[in-house]
Amino acid sequence: MPYPEEMVAPMRAELTQAGVRELRTPEQVDDFFSDRSTTALVLVNSVCGCAAGSARPGLKLALENTNKPATVATVFAGQDLEATARARELFGDVPPSSPSMALMKDGELVHFVPRHLIEGQDANTIARELAAAFDQFCA
Amino acid sequence: MGTFHDTKDPLHGITVIAETAGTVYVGRCHSRDAAEIELLDVDLHEEGQDDKTHAQWLDRAARFGVWTKHDRLVLPAGDVTSLRPLSDHVRAPGAAPVAAPAAAVAATTEKPAPESGGNAPVTLTDAARAEVARLIAAEDKPGTGLRLAVAGGGCSGLVYKVEFDTPTDNDVRFGVDDFEVVMDRKSSIYLRDVILDYQGGLGGRGFQFQNPNASNTCGCGESFSL
Repeated sequence: MPYPEEMVAPMRAELTQAGVRELRTPEQVDDFFSDRSTTALVLVNSVCGCAAGSARPGLKLALENTNKPATVATVFAGQDLEATARARELFGDVPPSSPSMALMKDGELVHFVPRHLIEGQDANTIARELAAAFDQFCA
Repeated sequence: MGTFHDTKDPLHGITVIAETAGTVYVGRCHSRDAAEIELLDVDLHEEGQDDKTHAQWLDRAARFGVWTKHDRLVLPAGDVTSLRPLSDHVRAPGAAPVAAPAAAVAATTEKPAPESGGNAPVTLTDAARAEVARLIAAEDKPGTGLRLAVAGGGCSGLVYKVEFDTPTDNDVRFGVDDFEVVMDRKSSIYLRDVILDYQGGLGGRGFQFQNPNASNTCGCGESFSL
């Protein structure tokens, strides 16, 4: 059952204010993924502490890297259920977890950060590892 | 370990590999003691299952995660020969790279991360959670959470505070059911392992804190000392 929207609004805003595009419907997800010729990162957002303390700030830090995806978006697990489900379809045969991050290139998943690689890690560690993936796939 | 689990066992809330004779389990460690280990959102692998060795299965699990087969499993501690974070798993030298997943498959429904009582430094009883949910539904303040705090005062030295408030960047935050609980970092130390209960109805005492760390508690239960 989704949290009250007013409670998750700050969790959305933390990303949208950093320039991350929010995908709230399956149609918006499809539109985002319609351009398969570039690099794209999708953060599966979550209400949990791992998202607040690690995933969201880590992504924001990583986006300061010289190399980064051409487009960055987010879906909110547990809140925008259909959009999240649609995004996960497009990630491929990957178990659902949140928070998590999927880096796509030419329409294919090239790097995935599941929840267990976020939990227990600080934002700087997440950012460093994301930046390394950006250097590898987005240069 | 991580930011939000420093008041618990180092593996609390962490996705772990639990190895037993013949079976490997991957799940989120909720609790462990000398007798048993409790895992949440668990998958398991028998040697040779799906034509994979344990190592091959773990290589993929470490890269992408696992599909939950069991919401909760309790393993006898004596059966577990190894317990370690999945994030520490290193692919065996010479092992083939884990292939990228196949293209789009049918969507799976979201399984909510069971944060309530799982990774939280404070536990809310069912009654407390229900009452908070009821109060939140009646509130109309965007961005608020349930703030638990400790302040000086009262007949025993410290008092508990319960209120709805806007989270700040310096707060410890965790989700419980449909709402978020927030504490300033100083309060989170005093509230470690606390259980928040609610006693309603006529003669009910409202929200009650059960603090295993309190050395003295006043008769009304609102003030305590450590």
